[in-house]
Amino acid sequence: MAKTSDQSKKGAHGHEGEHQHPPAPMVDEVSDFEVLEMAVRELAIEKGLFTAEDHRRWTEYVHSLGPLPAARLVAKAWLDPELKKLAVKDGVKASLKVGVDWINSPPTNFGTPSDYCNLRILEDTPTLKHVVVCTLCSCYPRPILGQSPEWYRTPAYRRRLVRWPRQVLSEFGLQLPPEVEIRVADSNQKTRYMVLPVRPAGTEGWTEEQLAEIVTRDCMIGVAVPKPGVTSNVKMPVHRAVHPIEHHS
Amino acid sequence: MSKAHHDRTHHAKKATGIGDPQCFKGEGGKPKFKAGDTVRIRDMADFFYTRCQTYTRGAVGTVTLAVYESPAAEDEAWDNTDKPEWFYSVKFRQKDLWPDYPSAFPNDTVETEFSERWLEKA
Amino acid sequence: MATLGKDDLAPIDLLEGIRRRGRAWEDLIVQYGVKNPDPPWKVTLDATCDILAAESCAAEGQVDDPVLPVLERRAEEDELSSGTYEGVPFPERQLLALAHSLIRRGLIDEKELALRMKQVHERLTSA
Repeated sequence: MAKTSDQSKKGAHGHEGEHQHPPAPMVDEVSDFEVLEMAVRELAIEKGLFTAEDHRRWTEYVHSLGPLPAARLVAKAWLDPELKKLAVKDGVKASLKVGVDWINSPPTNFGTPSDYCNLRILEDTPTLKHVVVCTLCSCYPRPILGQSPEWYRTPAYRRRLVRWPRQVLSEFGLQLPPEVEIRVADSNQKTRYMVLPVRPAGTEGWTEEQLAEIVTRDCMIGVAVPKPGVTSNVKMPVHRAVHPIEHHS
Repeated sequence: MSKAHHDRTHHAKKATGIGDPQCFKGEGGKPKFKAGDTVRIRDMADFFYTRCQTYTRGAVGTVTLAVYESPAAEDEAWDNTDKPEWFYSVKFRQKDLWPDYPSAFPNDTVETEFSERWLEKA
Repeated sequence: MATLGKDDLAPIDLLEGIRRRGRAWEDLIVQYGVKNPDPPWKVTLDATCDILAAESCAAEGQVDDPVLPVLERRAEEDELSSGTYEGVPFPERQLLALAHSLIRRGLIDEKELALRMKQVHERLTSA
């Protein structure tokens, strides 16, 4: 160990006396949850529920997912009317323009149980605002938008959005005039949805990179609209449904 | 007793490199409905599994799009993929789903999908 | 497609202990000054949930029915999250619900899991 640290001090990348960055802080504690996750996984593998190799491939896949490709696709569509047309017509094909292959990148090579290969990109207009939900479970366009946020998975959001969309949106800080049609898209079959919001004023002349920065995950779920200067999502406290709607089955 | 064997390899083989629902393209027959049709969601009994939400049953809406062909969720859950159907995206006015939806917002809508068996002409 | 009944949602001793004593990521990151909003094991947990719901998850390369279909797991997670595991933060709650679903289905044995946790803990904390 001593040898390693000595080498790193004098190594090819550094110079003597150079300011040394303190190592990033880490959690120096093994929690029961960390142990539980590993124990469940090991037993599942030993019992043949899946193989270690399959699990590794799925982990790599899940790890590769995030909201950036979707943000880039929206930015590109704002800049290129032809791409916008393609996005609205065939979301899966348009995803290829930002390197997302819905069909061939999941380990199954045909989609996953939660990621069927049909993406509809819903185009907002000044008088039409889309917002996405899955009232059944938490279906979400993962290949292009990553894992869903916690609040998206909660019954409070899923059951209330179809019923009281304006109330839910105002909890996210989004209040829209009555003449704007709010259209809730409920992904309870094989289509996954993402929202293509209206490009906001004040972004004239912006590059694709600048535009992509303000297209947050929340904007593509539809609970927010892009604004110059706003590049982060709302932190939502999670509440239980006050008026839960019972599942039918 | 030997385990009842559901051989799902046929689905994997069929869908690999093509995608699901793309792999069922052309198997749904002639679509019964088209964009603009007014439809009512049937309130059928479902056994054990359905993806047709309660809140839409009996409601009247407008077809926006014939989306894709696929076995209905109620069949596919039991690995019955022999009879793919057309799926439709249907748009409802909120006040047609919830009678007490605030009248201040008459334009608000919900859009979601149904397999053909759930729809009838209205 | 065995779905759990009401009795199956009752607490399980081993998981109750973890619920009470386990330290959630949201507490750990405050104590250790870590920025990462999700615990490192969230990705492997998500992969486990995905693979159990996939139809390709069986030994010997044989394609078979899903062990734990996504709609069932999520419905049980919802039920458990508003009952037995109410108040547990996410994704710890998802993990407890998954372990609960697997134990109640008889896919994993509670005693076996307790023993394995002990072994894993020793492995992770040994020098």
